[in-house]
Amino acid sequence: MTEKIKIDFEKTLKNSAFSEKDIEFKMKYLNKFIESGLPNRKLENWKFSDLSQIIQKNIGELSFYNDYSIQNKVDTSIFVDGLEHNKIIFINGRVEKIDFSYEDHNKVKIDDHFEFRAESDNNNSLLSLNNAFTNKCFRITIKKDYSLKKPLVIYHTTNNKIKSKNINLKLEFELEQNSSLRIIDLLKDESVNNFINIFYNFNLKENAILKNYKIDKILNKNIRYLFNNIEQQSNSVSETFILSSGSNFSKNEVNCNLNGEYSSAFVNGIFSLDNEQQHEIRTIINHLVENTKSYQLIKSVLGKNAKSAYQGKIFVDSKAQKTDGYQLSKAILLDETSEFNAKPELEIYADDVKCSHGSASGSLDENTIFYLMSRGLNYKQSKELLINGFLLDVIEKITDPEIKNLVKNMIGFKE
Amino acid sequence: MLKINNLNANIDNKSILKDFSLNINPGEVHAIMGPNGSGKSTLSNILSGKKGYEISGEVLFENKNLFELETQERAHKGIFLAFQYPLEIPGVNTNIFLKTSLNAIRKANGEKELDAIEFLKLVKEKSKELKFDEEKLNRQLNVGFSGGEKKKNEILQMSMLSPKLSILDETDSGLDIDALKVVSEGVNSLRNKNNSFLIITHYQRLLDYIKPDFVHVLMNGKIIKSGGPELALELEKKGYENFN
Ligand SMILES: Nc1ncnc2c1ncn2[C@@H]1O[C@H](COP(=O)(O)OP(=O)(O)O)[C@@H](O)[C@H]1O
Ligand SMILES: [Mg+2]
Repeated sequence: MTEKIKIDFEKTLKNSAFSEKDIEFKMKYLNKFIESGLPNRKLENWKFSDLSQIIQKNIGELSFYNDYSIQNKVDTSIFVDGLEHNKIIFINGRVEKIDFSYEDHNKVKIDDHFEFRAESDNNNSLLSLNNAFTNKCFRITIKKDYSLKKPLVIYHTTNNKIKSKNINLKLEFELEQNSSLRIIDLLKDESVNNFINIFYNFNLKENAILKNYKIDKILNKNIRYLFNNIEQQSNSVSETFILSSGSNFSKNEVNCNLNGEYSSAFVNGIFSLDNEQQHEIRTIINHLVENTKSYQLIKSVLGKNAKSAYQGKIFVDSKAQKTDGYQLSKAILLDETSEFNAKPELEIYADDVKCSHGSASGSLDENTIFYLMSRGLNYKQSKELLINGFLLDVIEKITDPEIKNLVKNMIGFKE
Repeated sequence: MLKINNLNANIDNKSILKDFSLNINPGEVHAIMGPNGSGKSTLSNILSGKKGYEISGEVLFENKNLFELETQERAHKGIFLAFQYPLEIPGVNTNIFLKTSLNAIRKANGEKELDAIEFLKLVKEKSKELKFDEEKLNRQLNVGFSGGEKKKNEILQMSMLSPKLSILDETDSGLDIDALKVVSEGVNSLRNKNNSFLIITHYQRLLDYIKPDFVHVLMNGKIIKSGGPELALELEKKGYENFN
């Protein structure tokens, strides 16, 4: 891989207009990535899903060069119906459109050439890869006291014109005091066998509210990694919802630092997987000051040869008294080949805290199926009703009513 | 309507029903009384098509071999089982469940499915008759319902579906006297010359309100005696231990 990546990197530099500083930055991370390589199962974080092997098996050798000078045509038919929304559209890794036309223009600031900067504590080789190859990093700032009128839908699309096997995206969001933002990430791929590497960084100032709904629903043959870093000042709230279902492989990581008192973080997720799909959610919630709260609920429905894993870590600093941390994961295994792994981790250095975790998995209850069938429902209907019922409480955790309905429709919940 | 001939049922090589035979004609109400463990629920489950039993013998429903029908097909043909222990189903709204059930059966019988308004009208009417707290219909199915509410919910389902053969598995246990009356009225209002009932009970109390045509005493998987309503009273007096 080393030769290939160096050649592709040179090509990328030649065809872009990076500043010297940018180039220096990118070089540094390229070398970092080459040194560590793709993550594999020897790393604790990757013990359930060896990315290096998965890429090897599904894609083979990665390639990295993309020509970002060519504009892609936006297919407007993909836009969400019946929901007025702002848009960011990625096609094959290139930002084709940023549209905040529903908003007050003085209140949403878009820096289209935000200077790349080093992340603190970066041992994540995928972040190195991302830093080395991201074409542009946009930074979106929501000004003080402003709540976006409409949600922002970020369309992640690929098509078969894509040149490289790997694409890297990065976005930064700054939510100033008392501002709020709702984001829906919609994944829609037409390309096959790409490795898509996405980094988001959120900075929530006092009283800011972030709601991020990640919807990976459409079946595709891609391998995806999504990393959310969330920094939270006091009284801020972050809500992350993950529907993990469409991609061949997917790993969502949420790293959340509760830096200010009375800040809270919610992470809720659904794995709905079948046929050899393998997905993971890993969260690290760092309770760093007093009176912070985190809540996580993750449910899996797994078909034949499907695997999901949930690694949830709650870290409570010695200063973080009165922490409230909760996590629960449940799985329905529809087949004897289905596999669910949970690795909860509590690391607690304060004594006055309330933290709990739990995990349970099992097959569909045959007695319940019999009950439903005795009322005239066939096996398929009974199974669907039970699965929907099982998943409902995660969906009910979506606090935005409009988006809750959207998600319900996408999943096919009948009312 | 229902003919059971020499039904034998085993679970894990343990014999539960032994040469069980019973004949129910249209319009008849039969009561089966028996002590715990005598096989009453096993019989109900088998009639509704629960899997996991080794079965021999013959069961005909309207002259068709019942064993060739899946559970839901039996429901479509008009067999209803009120469960001894109704199941709690988290996340499934009671109304949605009732509507799905009703329409599945209507559809299978070539009838028009009810739309939301028609359904709500019907369910309102039936809940009122059964003094079933309507607010419960918007809750998750049986979740947080009291024992009595669960049983009433079974009877509500029964009266919504108006089955040809209703099997009530110990519907009376756990009901207070008021609920018992309401449930009995629900059953009695469905009684006509076409509909039949198999009332399974432990106590004769229920039979004060639902007058059976026949009473059968089940012990160790076998009917040891059959008779009229007076048999229930005799049983009540003697108790199961001394009855033979
Ligand atoms: N799933 C099962 N596995 C093993 N034995 C069972 C099972 N279900 C019922 N039995 C046994 O069958 C007998 C009859 O049970 P049941 O039909 O529930 O009786 P009743 O309803 O009359 O109380 C009991 O001895 C019970 O222990
Ligand atoms: Mg019983």
